[in-house]
Amino acid sequence: MIEARNVYKTFRTPDRKEVKALVNFSTHVNKAEVVVIIGPSGSGKSTFLRCLNRLDEIDSGEIIIDGVNIYDKKININKIREEIGMVFQLFNLFPHKTVLENVTLAQQVVRKRNKGEAFEVARGLLHKVGISEKENVYPSQLSGGQQQRVAIARALAMHPKIMMFDEATSALDPEMIGEVLDVMKTLAREGMTMVVVTHEMGFAREVSDRVIFMDAGQIVEEGTAEHFFTNPVHKRTKLFLSQIL
Amino acid sequence: MTFNKRSLITVGILSIITASIYYFFTQKGIIYIWHWEKIPEMLFYYGSKSADDPTPKFRMGVLMMGFVLTLKISVFSIFFGIIIGTVVGIARLSHEPVTRGLSLSYVELIRNTPLLVQIYIIYFFVGSILRLSAFAAGTAALSIFAGAYVGEIVRAGIQSIHKGQMEASRSLGMSYGRAMRHIILPQAFKRIIPPLAGQFISLIKDSSLVSVIALADLMFQAQQAFARTYYAFEIYFTVALLYLVMTFTLSMATQYIERRLAISD
Repeated sequence: MIEARNVYKTFRTPDRKEVKALVNFSTHVNKAEVVVIIGPSGSGKSTFLRCLNRLDEIDSGEIIIDGVNIYDKKININKIREEIGMVFQLFNLFPHKTVLENVTLAQQVVRKRNKGEAFEVARGLLHKVGISEKENVYPSQLSGGQQQRVAIARALAMHPKIMMFDEATSALDPEMIGEVLDVMKTLAREGMTMVVVTHEMGFAREVSDRVIFMDAGQIVEEGTAEHFFTNPVHKRTKLFLSQIL
Repeated sequence: MTFNKRSLITVGILSIITASIYYFFTQKGIIYIWHWEKIPEMLFYYGSKSADDPTPKFRMGVLMMGFVLTLKISVFSIFFGIIIGTVVGIARLSHEPVTRGLSLSYVELIRNTPLLVQIYIIYFFVGSILRLSAFAAGTAALSIFAGAYVGEIVRAGIQSIHKGQMEASRSLGMSYGRAMRHIILPQAFKRIIPPLAGQFISLIKDSSLVSVIALADLMFQAQQAFARTYYAFEIYFTVALLYLVMTFTLSMATQYIERRLAISD
């Protein structure tokens, strides 16, 4: 489903220092697989996600999604993005639109669904994430957990083939993390292809098919959750786990 | 405090200030015979206009005609100013160096030359080439002038929207244009209403400069009426009040819009 080959990505900071975010990075994600990427901040996890829908551009290498090289000059990136849902750390809901409008807008203007159809899809998804009763309020009137669940519904409304989560629970109060993780777990069980950048080790252990541990733009260690948490091989992984567990 | 109460208080304060000035004036003992009774007929009168149009009926006096023209030219200029400004504001943030350079040149050129000079250039130079009427030339000059300032306000408004909004829109498959139209600009416009209101209030006042190209706006009519009658105080107090009616209405209207849009905050 996703194939990344020899990806390099370097950022230039405002004071003109170069930061290598991805160094010869290669990995793949199969259909219906749930891959969790963990690692210290600045290790390139989020950059990798953002390069998967070209919110950031890679310097070299290639990324192939569903058989299409998404860095090919001839492709329409908007078409690719329709198939990849993204959930952000800071939700990024549209504050001037109601919950329902947030979930229906892209369906109507991008997927060209008519109003009735878009509303039906939206109501179904809002029910699924458990906020049906809030469909006419504005995002500012919702809690962080509720906002993030709306953001998930908004991404799902496009009926994407892949869902990406960029530290989706990092900005939430502790008591709201569970409600968002529950929605993500449901999705995983339904067979959604997911790439999840997170600090939630419980989630990684429970639902991931594979865990990737990154540091300094490279994969340090990669394996099943069980292998990863019980039997890490690398010293860097052991150190990281000892610090967070 | 309700909307009406607040505007009432503002009007009240303004009347007190006007009354005080008037009182001060008369106490200083300037010898001046007031002719306020001549002002109403400069606003409205009943009668015939000329031999061509002899039917007696209610007609607009010269100041009211000027008021209407100023209102018209202001409304047109604000409308085109918003359109030009939006295009320029977006162009200023373009990834194309040429688009960015052109829009920046426009803004710098217009902001750094006097409006009066621009009015003359557009009327005499551009106007004669394109055979523009004085009204068209005046509206064009004011629109182009306002567009430069509005462009900078729009640019600042767009930049003030968190970049996550654009990223979320793009990640849903929206093009840059769609994201601008549905997500970024609506939020930006809501935020820039106060500076826009200030800009358009300035524009209404600046429109008095078009009187130099013989456009019969409020200022022009006032000068004519003054030349005919020498009632300087009465005429210019009235003119100030008429400008105030326009600007104050605009000010109130924008405050109303601001409150209306605040519901999603």
